[in-house]
This record gives sequence, structure tokens and C-alpha cells, in this order.
Amino acid sequence: MLTESKPVLSDGTKIADLINLETREVSMRLLSDHEVYKIEMERIFGKTWLLLGHDTEIPNSGDYVVRDMGEDQVIVSRDRKGEVHVLLNVCPHRGMRVCMAEIGNAQMHRCVYHGWAFRPDGSFMGAPIEREQMHGNIFAKEDLGLKKARVQLYGGLIFATWNINGPSLEEFLGDSKFYFDLLFCRTDGGLEALGPPQKFIVPANWKAAAEQSASDGFHTLTLHRSLMETGQYGRATADDIYANAPAMYGVDISCKQGHSLRCIPAEVTFTMFMSMDELKKLSPDQRLEVLPPPGITKEMLPELKRHMSPEGLRLMAKAPPQVGGMFPNVLVLFIYAPRTDGGASGALALHTYVPRGPDHVEFTNWMFAEKSASPQMKRDMMANSVRQAGTSGTIEQDDSDTWPHMSRNARGAMGRNQTMKYGALLGEKKPADWPGGGYVYDGFTKDDTQWNWWLYYRELMTAKS
Amino acid sequence: MTTATASLGMERPTPVDPTTGKRIATGSALYNEVLEFLYDEAGMLDQQKFDDWAKLLAEDLSYTAPLRITRQGPDRLNTVVRTTLHFDDDYGSIMARLQRLGTKSAWAEDPPSRTRRFVTNLRVWESAKSQEFEVESYLLLSRSRYEQSQLQMLSCVRHDLVRRSGAGAFKLARREIIVDQSVLGMANLAVFL
Repeated sequence: MLTESKPVLSDGTKIADLINLETREVSMRLLSDHEVYKIEMERIFGKTWLLLGHDTEIPNSGDYVVRDMGEDQVIVSRDRKGEVHVLLNVCPHRGMRVCMAEIGNAQMHRCVYHGWAFRPDGSFMGAPIEREQMHGNIFAKEDLGLKKARVQLYGGLIFATWNINGPSLEEFLGDSKFYFDLLFCRTDGGLEALGPPQKFIVPANWKAAAEQSASDGFHTLTLHRSLMETGQYGRATADDIYANAPAMYGVDISCKQGHSLRCIPAEVTFTMFMSMDELKKLSPDQRLEVLPPPGITKEMLPELKRHMSPEGLRLMAKAPPQVGGMFPNVLVLFIYAPRTDGGASGALALHTYVPRGPDHVEFTNWMFAEKSASPQMKRDMMANSVRQAGTSGTIEQDDSDTWPHMSRNARGAMGRNQTMKYGALLGEKKPADWPGGGYVYDGFTKDDTQWNWWLYYRELMTAKS
Repeated sequence: MTTATASLGMERPTPVDPTTGKRIATGSALYNEVLEFLYDEAGMLDQQKFDDWAKLLAEDLSYTAPLRITRQGPDRLNTVVRTTLHFDDDYGSIMARLQRLGTKSAWAEDPPSRTRRFVTNLRVWESAKSQEFEVESYLLLSRSRYEQSQLQMLSCVRHDLVRRSGAGAFKLARREIIVDQSVLGMANLAVFL
């Protein structure tokens, strides 16, 4: 039940009390409670901007894909005028699913139950046998279209929200937008989705994945230690990894809306680049030529210079943002993924964690390249991404094996009262000449960005409704 | 051909049906050799004998698993998408996976999954090359980890190219795995199909 500003669960617990601001503890109950989940579907997934795909997935008039906002299925379609619409896939007549396929092209979506027909912009065309006016005499045709979400595109990424009168996408991104611009809006043609997303179900609460995606850097050393043992990351063995701590030092950023990114210098991360001592002596321009950011080639550098400020360009040269997340449920993975076989390096991926009840989440994984990349580079980048992230990814198969344990633990009578702890904070430390805003953490990657994620979650869950 | 799907790599007919060559009769000596090859392979993987499995792989190996999507209407049978893949490996990357499994921290499979690979519906055809054969087999994988009391299941068809590598021996030169779900019911594919 939602009282004015404090959702209270049926046993009298206030949601606000499940996140302790003094001790920075989050109750595990949030990962399993069914009432909390229902409230999240309204207050988080019903209010924020949600990533649904990329406009290169629906290039032509009538193209559509079917995706999910929370547990609400939506049709993402392009109309004749080129506009993108996001439409609830629920027939206004008797609640049947209107669009049965997941990808296709149609200038008319006709519900198979009673034949009600809708255009790609969601407007109602009519029920069969026009003279009989089977849509009835209570609602006008104009009021019988598919329910529409509010849509904004950003770097071609399709975002939608049910919060029709809420903040714009730009306001929602806040100080993080400067950094995400460096990833999504840096070339003339922009990014291209290489194909539809991978999808698979992980038996875990969506937040186990989402809070890690709020730039948990520290887990890399232990959970992804196999990458270091095989020699790909860092000059380390299993025994001295903690002494060398590859990829732990850099600049993490986040903002009050919970979005975050880790800016990591390449030469402290990858064995292949570590021997490039000369990197340190190069100017930013020279560095960009020798070691372009993930997904970028030397040929694309003039475009980067046109689209980025000099400060942004310097950041991309030294320590580009490589991994992070967007609140509530997006992971951004724009990583070097070096190859020793001579193929083009770089893997650009975005994930969304789509809730499927409190105990399951659908992991959705898109792979990208810059539109202007060569066909071979795109092919290489698909392989780089698939081998490391997503379904069979050697990095991420370890992640998808942790979240279910946390969720199972959260269902125990004792377990649900244990807490997730965010005790290790670096505190804000901005390097001199830092080009961007937001909360800036220069040094060892700690719990700051994840705690900020929970603070925004708490704000939305306890807001006056 | 519809527009949103024009770039999905669906030019090859789906499923890939290796019927251009002559069919090798069920129960013939050659058929039985291929069947044993696949049974041996499944046994090696179920017993985590990865070094043995590696010896079955050709160095020009292509090992892929395309996506499946749900379509309707005239395109309803065009459901295999090859622009995005669940597996996108070659010999080198498979060896890198096996190297990782040999480290002390491949947690996704340590503790290991208990798997059972049921190989059925074997069909074999000649290919354009006398030493290579087009092979189609069904796979039902059951998998459990930890104290899970429900078996995870995955079914698929494999379209393989197997190549003679000596008397009674073969190597796997190509495997394309067509899974039967558009949303996989497993949290990862840390196991080979």
C-alpha cells in the first residue's frame, strides 16, 4: 500500500528503513520481497527512462521490434514519417496480445482475436465490418489506440518512459550525459546495432545485476581472475593479482540519478598494452593514433575531433570510459578486448536486465560498432563481444553465476535480513583539469558509485507519489 | 524480404539442410563411424575430458550458435539470425576457453555443471569433398548445478562438417548450433553444445 511518502510493507516495515543511510547497508530483503517488487514496477519501471533498443534495428517504415518495459511488453515501431513509437502490446478491446512476432515489418497490426487494427503509430484504424461499429459507442476511435509511452532517442538508442510529464531524458541523464556522449555520439554516422540482442534468463533478482553494473570495479580481481591467470589482463598470476591490481586505478564518475562509468587507462589493464611504455610520452593526439578508444579507428579520429570538445578528446585518449551503467537496469561495456590474432580489437555492448518477477531477470545483450567501421571490423567486434560478454562470454558467465546465489540467499528467513554493505568509500576526488561534472572519484575503485545507485533507488521508492 | 530483417543474415535458407549430397544410409559402416564419433564427443564433454575433446577439433574450426527469433506470417519459418550469435568461436578461441577452464578461477564451471548430452536423430550426407561429410544431429542437454532440483534443459540441432583424419577417425571442422528458444532458459552457455 502506498501512503504519502513512505511505502510500508504488509508487516509494517518501511521501505525507507531497508536502506540504512548511516551504516550504508541495504537489506537483502529487497532482492526477494514480492511486495517490494510490485512497488518497483510502479515507482522504478513505471517512472524512469528505459532502454529498449537502437534505431538501426528498425531502419524502415513499418519496421518493428517487440521489447519490454518492466513486465509490460511494448511494440517499438517506425511509422511512415520516420518517427519511432513505443506502444503497449495490449489490445484496448479485450487485452489480447496484438503483435505476436518479435521482429518484423507491418503497416498495420491487426489483433488476431476480434480483428481490431492499429497503425505503427498506435492509432486505431477500426474493427472489422465498419458499418457495425464494433468498437462501440462509448469511446471514440481516437481514444482506442494502443497506450503510448513517451519516446526519446539518444545516439540512436531508443529510450521510453511511462512518466509522460516527468523529466526529459537529458534531465534524467544529468551530469552523466557528458560522458555517455563520448561513447554514443562521437561519429558522423553514429553507432549501429550489429544484430538483434541475445536473450537469456538468469534466476536472480534484477537488482543483483543492476547494482553490480553501477560500476562495481573491485569484483574484477576475484570473480574475473581467470582473465588474469590466462594472461590477458595485467601482468599477473593467480597469486600476485592482488598485489598488481590491474584495472583498479582510474577515475569513476557517477551522478545523483545513479548512472556511472569507470574511466580506466588502457595501459594499466591489458597485458598487450602494458609493454607500450612509450604511450606515456605521447601527446593526446598521438595516443589516439597509437591506441584509439574501443571501437574507434585512426580513420574515424577526424570525426571524433568534430564531435567532441578538446577536453573530451583528451579524456578519450588517456582513460576512456569503458564500463558502467545507467539507472535502473543498463550495463555499458565499451572495452578494448584486445586480440592477439591480428583482428580488430574492441567490443561495444549494452545490456538491459529486464525483471521477470522477483526471482528472475532476462539478460538482453546488444552488440554495436560504429556505422563507418569496415565489414571485417564489425565481424571482429561481434566475435570479440560474444566471446567475452553475454551468453557464452568468458567474462560474464562468471557474473551470471553469482546473482542467483545472492537471490536464493535473500529468500531465507535469516538471509533476507542480512545486508549488502557499501562501507568502502573513496570520497570525491577530482583530478586537475577534469573535463566533466558529476561526482568524480580519482583513485582506487570503491563503493561510491554503487552507493549512489542505491540512494537514487531509495529516493524513487520513497518519493511522494 | 522484409526490411527490418533484411540485414539479419537470413540469406541462407533455414534450417541449413545439407541435402545436396548423397545420403549415407543409416546403419552403414560410415554412418556408424560418425555416430560413434558423436557419442565419443558427448562422453568426453560430459566427463570434462577437455584435452581429449580438443584433439577432435580441426584447426580451421568454425563453431557458432545463431539466434532464434519469433516471426509470424509469410516469414514465419525464417527464424535463424546469424548477425548476432550465442557462440562465435574458432579453433584459437576454443583453445582459449579450454585454457581458462584449466585455471584456478573459472568459477562459472567450478563447481562444474553436471551435464548429460543426448545425441539423437543422426543424418549423414556426402559433401562436395570425399573426405568430408555433412552431419545433422539433435542434442538434448540436461544440466544441473549446486543443489538445483530442477534440471535445466536445452535442445538444439547441430549442423556439422566432419572430416576424416585417419582410419576410423574424424575431426570437427564446422559446427553450427541451432537452439530451440529465442530466450534461452539457461543463465549462460559455459558448457559446449
